[in-house]
Amino acid sequence: MSSPPDRPEAPDRAGPIRGQQSLFGGLALVALAALAFYLTRDLTQGTLRAMGPAMLPRWLAVAVGLCGLALAAVGLTKHGDRIERSGLRGPVLVVLGILAFAVTIRPFSFAGINTPGLGLIVAGPLAIVIGGYATPEARLRDLLVLAFILTAVCMVLFGDLLNLPIPVFPQALTGLFPADWSQKAVLRATAAILAAVGVGLLLATRRRGPAPADVADHSGRV
Amino acid sequence: MGDLFSNLGLGFSIALTFQNLGLAFLGCLVGTLIGVLPGVGPIATIAMLLPITFGLEPVGALIMLAGIYYGAQYGGSTTAILVNIPGEATSVVTTLDGHQMARQGRAGVALGIAAIGSFFAGTVATIVIAGLGAPLTRLALIFGPAEYFSLMVMGLVFAVVLARGSILKAVAMILLGILLSTVGTDLETGEERMTFGLAFLSDGIDFAVLAMGIFGIAEILRNLDHTETRDVVRQAIGRLLPSKEDFKQSIAPVLRGTAIGASLGILPGNGAVLGPFAAYTVEKKLAKDPRRFGRGAIEGVAGPESANNAGAQTSFIPLLTLGIPPNAVMALMVGAMTIHGIIPGPQVMTKNPDLFWGMIASMWVGNLMLLIINLPLVGLWVRLLKVPYRLLFPAILMFCCIGIYSINSLPTDVMFIGFFGLVGYALIKLGFEPAPLLLGFVLGKLMEENLRRALIISRGEMTTFIDRPVSAGLLAVALILLVVALLPSIRKGRDEVFVE
Repeated sequence: MSSPPDRPEAPDRAGPIRGQQSLFGGLALVALAALAFYLTRDLTQGTLRAMGPAMLPRWLAVAVGLCGLALAAVGLTKHGDRIERSGLRGPVLVVLGILAFAVTIRPFSFAGINTPGLGLIVAGPLAIVIGGYATPEARLRDLLVLAFILTAVCMVLFGDLLNLPIPVFPQALTGLFPADWSQKAVLRATAAILAAVGVGLLLATRRRGPAPADVADHSGRV
Repeated sequence: MGDLFSNLGLGFSIALTFQNLGLAFLGCLVGTLIGVLPGVGPIATIAMLLPITFGLEPVGALIMLAGIYYGAQYGGSTTAILVNIPGEATSVVTTLDGHQMARQGRAGVALGIAAIGSFFAGTVATIVIAGLGAPLTRLALIFGPAEYFSLMVMGLVFAVVLARGSILKAVAMILLGILLSTVGTDLETGEERMTFGLAFLSDGIDFAVLAMGIFGIAEILRNLDHTETRDVVRQAIGRLLPSKEDFKQSIAPVLRGTAIGASLGILPGNGAVLGPFAAYTVEKKLAKDPRRFGRGAIEGVAGPESANNAGAQTSFIPLLTLGIPPNAVMALMVGAMTIHGIIPGPQVMTKNPDLFWGMIASMWVGNLMLLIINLPLVGLWVRLLKVPYRLLFPAILMFCCIGIYSINSLPTDVMFIGFFGLVGYALIKLGFEPAPLLLGFVLGKLMEENLRRALIISRGEMTTFIDRPVSAGLLAVALILLVVALLPSIRKGRDEVFVE
């Protein structure tokens, strides 16, 4: 992974928690081990000669739990890294974007809620726009342009050229086109319209005088 | 020897058909295109691009996938040199001197020597695979379940020793990975384990979903935390072809890097990841003036890059001969092969010689493609790297969603990449490395299967693992490695290698 090399931060506060990362990491492992134990409670253990389904998971849970305890102990005795603070915005919006894609790509029902299958033409832009707001630097116009053009490209690439079984647009849409058009023709037409909207948006907003100063600010820092 | 050439001949007759050449080209191109994006390593790239090979026949699909893999690797190096952001662990070392060279206006030479070194390493590695494939396959036939189990234990111990940071944390991650692999229907009794009664978990957790979440989505979340300071080189790329002087300086490092990378890559347990580090350390030790390193020494790019590529390629050996994926990328290859109805292992070579040798020959073709397409396209990659992250990551996000959805057409898979993204993000925050977890997960199912089989054969005697000489030998190696890694003096050295 590309994480920077760990550097131990100066212990700023004396307290029972010396290595925050280790302590909470250890506790998390113990919790996971306990969960695995709980979930395998009804399964048979078996013997070494004929192992049951629960034997290996339980052994592993014990081992994970022991690692967790050891790690937590390290966290209480040795100084270590603190957990970096992080905002909720990034994780929440990225996950929301993914969920939006998942529930709109095809009909989905969960806990009594049914969504109509809207296909890539809706799911793609939703993922980009909602997910895109995960950064405070997000700007709606840029995201919309990106969403329209990229979705159009993906529709043609995955649906038309590669023939992947991915729903591209809602069935109702076919009704809007002449009846003798094939699915592929409708796909190409909608992709073209989408791309045109994207490009139009790009051009229309650009013509409105020079871009505000902060644009140069952001893109200049790449 | 004659066998080797006739086999390679067969391979090239397949790899050099017009269609397969085109697929290798396309694979390298899209692999580099996605691999160049900062924060997208080979694992995420392959998982994203896996579906585009579904419509092809098996040989073509694997040739294209191999191309994607090399492309992603090379794309990672390009990003490391031009932006100082390593796409994955193996290109960390390249950032040290490669990016310095770029700042001195020698980005072109750095990219050039990386490509040429990689090509040379790839050529050697191709021959190594072709030469070792047959004998190792014969070795695999004498392996029983006990030997397989011990071999995988050794691989996992390797992964622990090679992981950065705390050994305890690495062990915990591997165990957790194996634990995750036991989720789903038990193969022997048919009982569901730890599925929460959810139907989509009864087949277990899909590897591509786990990998995409932990390596793709979690990486986005991690990058969002830091305000972006990407420093794409502003200097000119400069000439691409290294000068005579450069070549003279790089020949020995390329040779040494190739040897180091190729031999480490064969080891199960992601030995390939150590290659670039080892090559860099060796070059620094051998250099007349070690102070030049970190300031744009061409040896510091040539050695590690050759090692990287050699290792990337020889890590196919455990997969193709023993059927054991040595790292996460190879595990994705297993997934891809299974989709096309091929079960990796010793029988591939005898049952599908076309596929086996065609793929090996295409490795060399892929390396040649990289050399041909990448150098002229450097300008394009630079432009791509200048796109701000606030626009890049939503695009990556959508590609991840489309890629994972197309594999099984399941919306739940898409949701799970979000879930595992959060898990991976939490792991990073808690200081755990996700790579060992993935390896544990990859080997977990195979390990359980072989453990059970071995114990059935031995009637429940655990001693079977030390009674059988090969198995005992493998376990002994694992034990020695673990002890050595825990020795205080070695530990210090190990930390230094990774800090460098």
